[in-house]
Amino acid sequence: MTAGRPARRLEGLAFVTPFLIVYLVILIYPLLMGFVLSFQRADLFGARTFVGIDNYARLAADPVFHQALGNTFKLTLLIVPALTVITLALALALNRPTRGAAWLRGLFFSSSVLSVTIVTLIWRFVLTPDAGLVAEILQAIGAEPIPFLSDRNLAIPALAVTTIWWSIGLPMMLFLAGLQQIPEDIYEAAALDRAGRWTRFWRITLPSLRRTVILVVMLQTAAQLQLFGQAQLLTAGGPSGASRPVVLFIYEASFVRWELGYAAAAAEILFMLVLLVTLAQYWAARPREGE
Amino acid sequence: MLGAMLMAAPLVWTLLLSLKANSELMRDSGTAFSAPYTLENYRAVLQGSSAFRWLLNSLIVSTGTMIGVLILCSLAGYGFARLEFPFRRTLFVFVLLGLAIPEQAVILPRHQLFAALHLHNSYPGLILPGLAGPFGVFFMTQYFRAIPRELDEAAMLDGASRLRIFWKVLLPLTLPAQATLGVFTFLAAWNDYWWPLISATRSERFTLTVGLASAQMNYAQTSGLGFLMAQAVFASLPILIVYLLFQKQIVRAIAGTSGR
Amino acid sequence: MASLELSNVRKAYGATPVLDDVSLTMAAREFVAFLGPSGSGKSTLLRIIAGLETADAGEVRLDGRRIDTLAPGDRGVAMVFQHYALYPHMSVRENMAFGLRNAGVPRQEIAARIDEAARVLEIETQLDKKPGQLSGGQRQRVAIGRAIVKQPRLFLLDEPLSNLDAALRTRTRVELAQLRQRVDAAVIMVTHDQAEAMTLADRIVVMHDRAIQQIGAPMEIYGRPANAFVARFVGSPAMTLAPVSLLADESAFAAVRLGEGARIETRVPRDGLAVGAPLELGVRPENVQVVETSGGVPEAKVELVERLGDRTFVYARLADGLSITAEDAGGSRVRIGDTIGLRIDGAAVHLFTPDGRARHAAAAAA
Repeated sequence: MTAGRPARRLEGLAFVTPFLIVYLVILIYPLLMGFVLSFQRADLFGARTFVGIDNYARLAADPVFHQALGNTFKLTLLIVPALTVITLALALALNRPTRGAAWLRGLFFSSSVLSVTIVTLIWRFVLTPDAGLVAEILQAIGAEPIPFLSDRNLAIPALAVTTIWWSIGLPMMLFLAGLQQIPEDIYEAAALDRAGRWTRFWRITLPSLRRTVILVVMLQTAAQLQLFGQAQLLTAGGPSGASRPVVLFIYEASFVRWELGYAAAAAEILFMLVLLVTLAQYWAARPREGE
Repeated sequence: MLGAMLMAAPLVWTLLLSLKANSELMRDSGTAFSAPYTLENYRAVLQGSSAFRWLLNSLIVSTGTMIGVLILCSLAGYGFARLEFPFRRTLFVFVLLGLAIPEQAVILPRHQLFAALHLHNSYPGLILPGLAGPFGVFFMTQYFRAIPRELDEAAMLDGASRLRIFWKVLLPLTLPAQATLGVFTFLAAWNDYWWPLISATRSERFTLTVGLASAQMNYAQTSGLGFLMAQAVFASLPILIVYLLFQKQIVRAIAGTSGR
Repeated sequence: MASLELSNVRKAYGATPVLDDVSLTMAAREFVAFLGPSGSGKSTLLRIIAGLETADAGEVRLDGRRIDTLAPGDRGVAMVFQHYALYPHMSVRENMAFGLRNAGVPRQEIAARIDEAARVLEIETQLDKKPGQLSGGQRQRVAIGRAIVKQPRLFLLDEPLSNLDAALRTRTRVELAQLRQRVDAAVIMVTHDQAEAMTLADRIVVMHDRAIQQIGAPMEIYGRPANAFVARFVGSPAMTLAPVSLLADESAFAAVRLGEGARIETRVPRDGLAVGAPLELGVRPENVQVVETSGGVPEAKVELVERLGDRTFVYARLADGLSITAEDAGGSRVRIGDTIGLRIDGAAVHLFTPDGRARHAAAAAA
């Protein structure tokens, strides 16, 4: 073959160059610029001054940022374990070749294809105390409506429930795909060994799904650390910041207050967190001996 | 069964609200559980609102992103999977690292970059960011790699040029992958919220997602709850149709992610 | 006139050489088989001829024209791939037409050639099907058809029978033999199956360890193997090799002593062989007869009996632990565990010097 000749080699490069240009200009360049920006003070008019680690120092002392970080962690901790358990249970229940099961799989996945604005629109009028579905039901049984979205203790759980309802499809499908890959004969062998339902679940199903569980937990953790639209649209971070996650903090700092350097520094910190989760996934999912 | 009801309840509720006259809902939204129902709100959506304009924008942006991604990723996937060029491995790893970059780490500087290039409130400005994701390249590269090399070699002996091998022999074989990647890209672009929120600030460039957000924020001033919900149902229809049509591709793609 | 000429072809992957200085000349319309175990370099050599790999040094000529500098499609060769490599999304007809279109053959000519090939291969009714709808044997024919329509100067067949089941393999072997009568081109077939090579090829090129071990007609390879490797690789069951020592003698032919004492008078000329030098004796099963255990003949214990109906192969072990294969009549009564006598036909044995080179029986042997 003539692969060694310069013309041929450049021909190969020609196939990947269009993507590489877009990738460099629209992803890598902004990434680097963000890093630079986090060490600057910048305003709307483009004036930039280098301020060293000032932005980071300010973040370290900013109670609003601390609150946002805390909210993000709370949301992640509320959502990820619940979502994992629920979707695993659903996958186990719906992993059968009947029409009904297929229909239900479709139903549980359908919310995932909706955009965040539709999801929040739906849930606003499920949760709102003056016209919401929950309020109507409570009234019907003679109870007082609950102001989920404006109570500082209920706003975060309300966001968590909305998010779980929205995100249920993907992990369920991942678990279903994982279940499909467990060979049938293992279960037959276990049945011959007189293993009960629970034994089979704990000793066969769960260990076989180890990698899927890791994948789901890490994907969801990374996603929920970046939770944004639900909070912005449903509670606007309120009341008084009680449900403001980090990404909403970044959004407000940059596109409302135009403190670009400060927002960039917060974004870098969140980036590091997400990166840590991603690395943790690769570490946890690495093949072990005997696999 | 209880789970299915919990899952379906918000959807049914939304549908019921959209079928009620606004005046009735103003009195008590509980009336949604009983007749009379009306299609009045849908008529209003189809006639008066900006929803059509937003729908068109969403279609243009999502389709544009999908086509762009398919072209760029097919070319790059073939290049990485089959051709020899300097720094091929290094470049591939460099592209894969992009998978770990979250949107919020780049969105602010990107906003400034696009401002400098006067790309805001334009279709290219809404489409370009969707083309930079490395997932499609990874996906297509894997797919091209799975095609037996014997086919390329047979085509070489048949006297086909590089471009002709790509176009006539390999590309047709990646059609299933194109469908899967296409559907996913379309869905992601359709549902994208943050970027169009900050890039499209004029109502005539809103995508459906952003438009609905603005309608939601201005709820007090809009013409009522039933109308708002009819907009929500109207806005979800295209995407639900896409989902129903391409369910197979979606499920296959998800199964593929977990297979690794 | 020579068809394919390889001169001093070399190839290495990084520091690992895969072909050392290979040269070969084929006659017009000759059918040559590259025979060898995997990793012997035979596939690499085929791919170099096809243009799918570049040689580091050396030249490839076809009908006098140098082709190693040309693109694969311009070389006048056609290849049938091991897994057929049919284009899955094209119909059988399109599969065959693809190469011709690339070469700018006129439309009518393409149609005529495809019809002719389909008729010869009896796949006329399959022309509009996709490869996925065909059986393994039919795909094989389409792959051959795709090569034929190009009217190449040289056919390259890469393990063409390895993907077929046993029954189909025999039939296809016959068809390949008929095919080569019809085409006016030379054929190279790569195979690891000696039976294929022996039946189909005019000449066999035995390859091992990056180099050509021997080139010759099938019976020449079988009867006068150039070295110990060829001797063991060709023939089934394999030739028995046993260490022997040369006995001092006045005779013109070498007499040797088998490890445990039996004396064998060979017909191999003695000249050049040093008395006492370590030699290996090679003898094929058909030249080792099972006899009664009565004085003078080596005795062995039977380990396995392979009954083929018309004859029986007996795998036995001599007293000093050496394995030896013998042939017996179809109705042999030998059983595992029996002790048998063996008569080795000295006129048919080969001797191998320590460097592996063969010495054969003089004249009449072959």
